[in-house]
Amino acid sequence: MPLPAELSIPLSQHLGKPAKPVVRMNDEVKKGQLVGEADGFISANVHASTSGKVRAIRPHPHPGGQYAMTVFITPDGKDEWAEGLNSAPVDWKGMSKEEILKKIRDAGVVGMGGAGFPTNVKLSPPPDKKIDTIILNGAECEPFLTADHRLMVESPEAVVAGLEIMASLFPGTLKLAIGIEANKPDAIDALQQYAVPKKIEVLALKTKYPQGAEKQLINAITGRNVGEGELPFDRGCIVQNIGTAVAVYDAVCRNRPLIERVVTVSGMEIARQKNISARIGTSFSDIIAFCGGMSEKTNQVISGGPMMGKAIFSLDVPVVKTTSGILFINNSALGKSRERACIRCGRCVEVCPQGLAPWLLANVAQLRQLEKIQLLGLANCTECGSCTYVCPSGRELVHWIKYAKALVSSRKQRKSA
Amino acid sequence: MISDAFIPAVSSLGAVALALGLIIHYVSKRFHVEEDPTVKLVNSILPGVNCGACGFPSCNQFAEVLVETRNNAMTCPVGGPDLAVKLGETLGMAMAEPKAQTAVVLCQGKNDVARRSAQYLGIQDCWAATQAFAGPKQCRYSCIGLGSCIAWCDFGAMRLENGLIVIDKNLCTGCAACIPVCPTGVLVMQDKKAARYFIACNSHDRGAATKKACDAGCTACQKCVKVCEDNAIVIEDFLARIIQEKCTACGKCIEVCPTKVNCIRLERDLNAVKQAS
Amino acid sequence: MPSVNLNVSYAPFVRTKDSIESVMYNVALALAPATIMSVWLFGMRALLVTLVCILSCIGFEWLMDTIRKKPASCLDGSALVTGLLLALNVPSNLPFWMLIIGSFIAIAAAKHVFGGLGYNIFNPALVARVFLLISFPAAMTSWPVPFAVDMETAASPLGILKTDGVAAAMKSLDLVNGFYGTMNGSMGETSTLALLAGAGWLFYKRYITFHIPLTMLGSVFLFTAIFHLIDPAAYAPPLFHMVTGGLILGTFFMATDMVTSPLSVRGQLIFGLGCGLLTAIIRLWGGYPEGVSFAILIMNGFVPLIDSWDLNDRKAIHQKKSVTT
Ligand code: SF4
Ligand code: SF4
Ligand code: SF4
Ligand code: SF4
Repeated sequence: MPLPAELSIPLSQHLGKPAKPVVRMNDEVKKGQLVGEADGFISANVHASTSGKVRAIRPHPHPGGQYAMTVFITPDGKDEWAEGLNSAPVDWKGMSKEEILKKIRDAGVVGMGGAGFPTNVKLSPPPDKKIDTIILNGAECEPFLTADHRLMVESPEAVVAGLEIMASLFPGTLKLAIGIEANKPDAIDALQQYAVPKKIEVLALKTKYPQGAEKQLINAITGRNVGEGELPFDRGCIVQNIGTAVAVYDAVCRNRPLIERVVTVSGMEIARQKNISARIGTSFSDIIAFCGGMSEKTNQVISGGPMMGKAIFSLDVPVVKTTSGILFINNSALGKSRERACIRCGRCVEVCPQGLAPWLLANVAQLRQLEKIQLLGLANCTECGSCTYVCPSGRELVHWIKYAKALVSSRKQRKSA
Repeated sequence: MISDAFIPAVSSLGAVALALGLIIHYVSKRFHVEEDPTVKLVNSILPGVNCGACGFPSCNQFAEVLVETRNNAMTCPVGGPDLAVKLGETLGMAMAEPKAQTAVVLCQGKNDVARRSAQYLGIQDCWAATQAFAGPKQCRYSCIGLGSCIAWCDFGAMRLENGLIVIDKNLCTGCAACIPVCPTGVLVMQDKKAARYFIACNSHDRGAATKKACDAGCTACQKCVKVCEDNAIVIEDFLARIIQEKCTACGKCIEVCPTKVNCIRLERDLNAVKQAS
Repeated sequence: MPSVNLNVSYAPFVRTKDSIESVMYNVALALAPATIMSVWLFGMRALLVTLVCILSCIGFEWLMDTIRKKPASCLDGSALVTGLLLALNVPSNLPFWMLIIGSFIAIAAAKHVFGGLGYNIFNPALVARVFLLISFPAAMTSWPVPFAVDMETAASPLGILKTDGVAAAMKSLDLVNGFYGTMNGSMGETSTLALLAGAGWLFYKRYITFHIPLTMLGSVFLFTAIFHLIDPAAYAPPLFHMVTGGLILGTFFMATDMVTSPLSVRGQLIFGLGCGLLTAIIRLWGGYPEGVSFAILIMNGFVPLIDSWDLNDRKAIHQKKSVTT
């Protein structure tokens, strides 16, 4: 898509501390130049996605729903790379482990599925955790989204190379697997061609939600259960997103920082639904214009997927590293539905992938019984939204759960303060 | 015929009731705990709302600790100076007077004053709203106006008015229960005074952004700082604040504030006036 | 850029089309065959009984909502289902005032006292039925004979079983007739066929699962079969128990009531088993000829216990292997 008139690049596009700005107003920047430096261990670098001038640095709406410090860049139209970046493909085989990790960190690669966990941190688990499996998540995290699907079909070699690079960071032979939902045979075929010679398994998974969630994926592929309070590396696994694998390849072999990503533009109310490759910092309104505009009936614009995305409150929000999709919908139920009492139909219990009792969690949250709700496994909820989806009483189950989580953490903060 | 079934039924039930009654009587006598009469007395003077403002979970505990430690610095904000005097009389010592305080809202962003961002249609609760986005008003420092705090006020002092929380200062006892439950932190405690000026705005946005979002927002224009002869106004992080200890309530600042809805507010406190005179 | 109206709500942004209304109206639809059957068997009076029950239930629901200052829920379908179930649970010659009392008990005492739909512990229609049975035993057990013109009444097959023994009961009833429903009994419980057709619809729409019906019918069948084998002269054959009384109606439409049955599958199995065993025990040795209502109500009372057991026991995450190739 064409270069927008302005790019707004938030300094917080990842889990953890926001990056520290390293440019100032009116600075000239080149494409790929660092504008925000990782601040602390869990944080990530942020780069300019084109060359131009820094117009301002101030808080700006973020697709996550809040405001974040944002660097505004007015492009100069030359789109010039900073020196040393975007090189011809180099072979990664000669590089040391440290070198690879540094390159990934420098390029600001984060998990591109949704949470945005810094990839270099994920690839450096504590030394006492032995990693024996790396899984690439080709099961699209949510319905509607096809960004990863397109990457798998169009650049399978980069996906496979990214996985290999990550595997080279760990000693011994690892089980490498790419899990793809069975309804994407073209992606399976495309990957198989490159993966099989490299001893990478390509597995077809049942098409169901939430197959793309980390814990479900690990279970489906290795049969291991990541239990309460455990992280994947406690079970010897690392799960990475397809987009992340490509970003790792770009960072290590082509010296390209993460400044662009594939975004699925979808929903009934946008003129042209498609996957586009958008620069980080492109505002949603620019994307709408590029995709032919949205209809008058649009009443919600969602960043992410329909199950776990966020309804944005301003069209000025930019595409960030974790923006997997943008949906334009006419949510007819909006405002009409009213929450009613749970009729104990049991559907939420049936669908919860974490084996929780969402109806009870919501009821207890509503009563603000914060001690009790933690005993019921509050922390285990992955906020997949399945329970709210099925509830015939229109109960906002996952929202209540999220509400309780917010109260619990604010109370903890207050206690420690 | 009837008595055949009736008499055994009634007599057996009666026997059971009698036995249980005797057991209860025995237990209550046997395990009776002698309550300190002073505690009882003190407890009876306390407001008895168990609001927790004193730092104890209940009025009774406050009474127990007070009687045991005779710590005259212990105060009950709800009861105020009157109660302190009464407690002092009961215990035969001089009690510290609690500072009369009241909760204030640092926001005047009613729906006609503060610009809205997107419409919010989720769970009607401030905390729930902040989980979905920055809030239904463009100013993210504002009172969200869904009234999460109301449920925490034991004294019915809070109500919503046109998208803004309003505190009835005659009902507010200064218990501070509402302060920590507000997600945007627009509630603060202030000492009661006969006439009290304060900046009713919480926005740390730059002047231009604040002005765009709200007619009552402090734009950090410095006018009030310059006019104040007592150096009672400071601007920190794009927001003015009146230092209560220094403010002499001359009212000059309020005249120069250029915002459309004056962000400097004067609150008169009739009770405080009465006490002062 | 066209100015759009952005609305923020919380994820997920797609929701199921099912609602309380759709669940309830489908249950009502599933009860239609049995209702039609009862009108065919017992005449226009059955239709009147149905209408009185439904209208008074909806009326009381409205009244209670108004008194409790709750948003009106009288048209959400739950009062309709309660009324319908109550009608199907009484003889077609019951006086109207008794029906209205029954409706009041169902809606006000069994449902709204506990907090309204979703909070009630006991199935409202069953509470009303048992209330009527205890208060007006004679009226509630004089069953009109099907196709009778002059309101002729007689005992139901289960009643005969209790008073006159197996032989007399078996003689009074041809099992095939029992299956079609041409026997004496409450309006809606006689026709096993019509009830099964309705239950089939609920299974198809996935509003009920097989767990409760299977364990409940299974345990009644097994239990009565064992005793029939021990002494055929004293105990009626299991099939007799299957088609008589309110077993089918109770199993598919009242034990499976979402509000008053356990949430988990395991809990539902236990619940169904308990209902079945209690039904059989009351029928074989109890003072009343029929035990379905009592059995379900008693098990309703155990639901909170079953649910909390399940919750405390639920540690393992139920993840199934999902690799297909
Ligand atoms: S969102 Fe609901 S279904 Fe998903 S994990 Fe949490 S409780 Fe379970
Ligand atoms: S899905 Fe909704 S109505 Fe059903 S049990 Fe869960 S919360 Fe209750
Ligand atoms: S003061 Fe705080 S808690 Fe109260 S309504 Fe306003 S934002 Fe909500
Ligand atoms: S408004 Fe706040 S400080 Fe005042 S009485 Fe209510 S909770 Fe206490």
